[in-house]
Amino acid sequence: MTPLLEIKSACRYFGGLHAVEDFSGHVKRGERVGLIGPNGAGKTTLFNLITCFTPLSSGAVFFDDTDISSLKAYRVARLGIARTFQNLRVMPNLSVFDNVSIGALGALGHSPFAALTKRANYANDIGRRTWDALEQTGLQDQASELAANLSYGKRKYLEIARALALSPRLLILDEPAAGLNDTETAQLAEFVLRLSGEGLSILLVEHDMNFVMSLCERVMVMASGRKIADGSPQEVSNDPVVLEAYLGSEEEAA
Amino acid sequence: MRRLISISILLLAVLLVLPGVLSAVGGGYWFRVTTTIGVFSILTMSANLITGTTGLMSLGHAGFYGIGAYTTALLATKLHWPFFLTLPVAGVVTAVFGILLALPTMRLIGIYFAVATLGLGEIIHVTLLNWVDFTRGPMGISAIPGISLDGLFSASDITNYYAVAIIALLAALVLGRLTHSYYGNALRAVREDDQCAASMGLNVVGLKIQSFAFACFFAGVAGGLWAHTTGYISPGDFRFSESILILAMMVVGGLGSIPGAVLGAVILLGLPEVLRPIGDYRMIVVGAVMFFSILFLPRGLLGETSVLSVVRRQFGLAWDRTLNLGWRQ
Repeated sequence: MTPLLEIKSACRYFGGLHAVEDFSGHVKRGERVGLIGPNGAGKTTLFNLITCFTPLSSGAVFFDDTDISSLKAYRVARLGIARTFQNLRVMPNLSVFDNVSIGALGALGHSPFAALTKRANYANDIGRRTWDALEQTGLQDQASELAANLSYGKRKYLEIARALALSPRLLILDEPAAGLNDTETAQLAEFVLRLSGEGLSILLVEHDMNFVMSLCERVMVMASGRKIADGSPQEVSNDPVVLEAYLGSEEEAA
Repeated sequence: MRRLISISILLLAVLLVLPGVLSAVGGGYWFRVTTTIGVFSILTMSANLITGTTGLMSLGHAGFYGIGAYTTALLATKLHWPFFLTLPVAGVVTAVFGILLALPTMRLIGIYFAVATLGLGEIIHVTLLNWVDFTRGPMGISAIPGISLDGLFSASDITNYYAVAIIALLAALVLGRLTHSYYGNALRAVREDDQCAASMGLNVVGLKIQSFAFACFFAGVAGGLWAHTTGYISPGDFRFSESILILAMMVVGGLGSIPGAVLGAVILLGLPEVLRPIGDYRMIVVGAVMFFSILFLPRGLLGETSVLSVVRRQFGLAWDRTLNLGWRQ
């Protein structure tokens, strides 16, 4: 069976800067994959390429055997790739419920005529999906609260809830544990494991190595836009090339 | 139930009490003021869909208002169409113009969109002014027939009042449903963070065009009402200053709020009339009201979040998990 997500020689240049260069990789169905690398390695750019936020300079991305390289971002989301953002992007002036309903709207479509005719089935479907996502993330009691009034940790879950309301097959998390304390990080890891147990494939960027090593079945390492390693957490953490990318080579240090 | 009561009170006030009071205080002039407020309420409610809900600051709304007015005036004077045809056609024509003119601006955001729509408004104004063969240019179009239907009602202050009032209520109903629904959430998501909305599967360009089309439709209908109720229009009625007036009404009333849009129109058009006894000083008072409302009420008198919290308190039941509802539907 072909992998759920397959990236084939993806390149992205910003002028002379090679942000992502000849990156190939994949995520299998139900797999938890981590993407690590030093700052500026191109991890977020790669995420933007997968979600078609940024167009590819060359190469291709396949999702479930469909070439998504030239699709618009919203089409990719509807196909089943949902993401969260590195710098939290919740909508502060909307309630928690309304924030999450955005994901459900994305999945079920939005037509002004459904609103004008008050199509009840449609509204119920959106409501049900939204509540399901809220309950999955434990936000149901804060549903009517404005997103701006949530704590930082809760806002992280709000972003995930919004992504889950889209009923994705692949969930892309950009630094989910950033800014969380150890207890919160452990809770988040447990939560991600539970999602994975329900069959969701996960691709995440994270700087917290304990988080990545304990959670991910496979880790890809990026440096200067290229993939330098790909393997189990143990293999990768003992790989001299990876150590060099993070710590510098012995000659440089000397 | 509560909703039913408040709607009945609103209908009673607009359709019985207000015209009664206006007739009692001597008709004519005050009817004129009220119909103007009604037309501008429709304009402000519609502009509010673009600016307040979808978050695109449009400075060209008066241009679309003008397209509607000229469509109606030309159809009524040259082809002698009755009002029940001219008004919807004016709305559709304006919506089509709105979509065509807006397409190139849909990639723009924030201040760039505002400046582009300012340009669009000016283009429309200058076209109306200089295309003399078609629009009669600065002379304007006069003797536009009023709103009448043979055997039922004839053109009069009362007819004008009811036409404007009923269409304003319909506009409030349609725009209210668009705004206070899941669809409205999609529009608000575009306002809050359009890139994020796109990554959640929302067709951002589609939503922008739709909101523009609906807003332009009602701006066109408002223009048609203006043409029919005044009987004379000229390009001067549809200048940039009217766009700014609409924007000011929106801001004073509260961005994103439909009652706020009406309240803004009532304040900014009603105040100068009520203050007539103090002569030209009244414009200073109007300016001060605008200034202080921005200073002390940045969300306007009935800004969206406060309106939302009111709605939430009143419709607490709608948040019940068992009803599967978030928004009132």
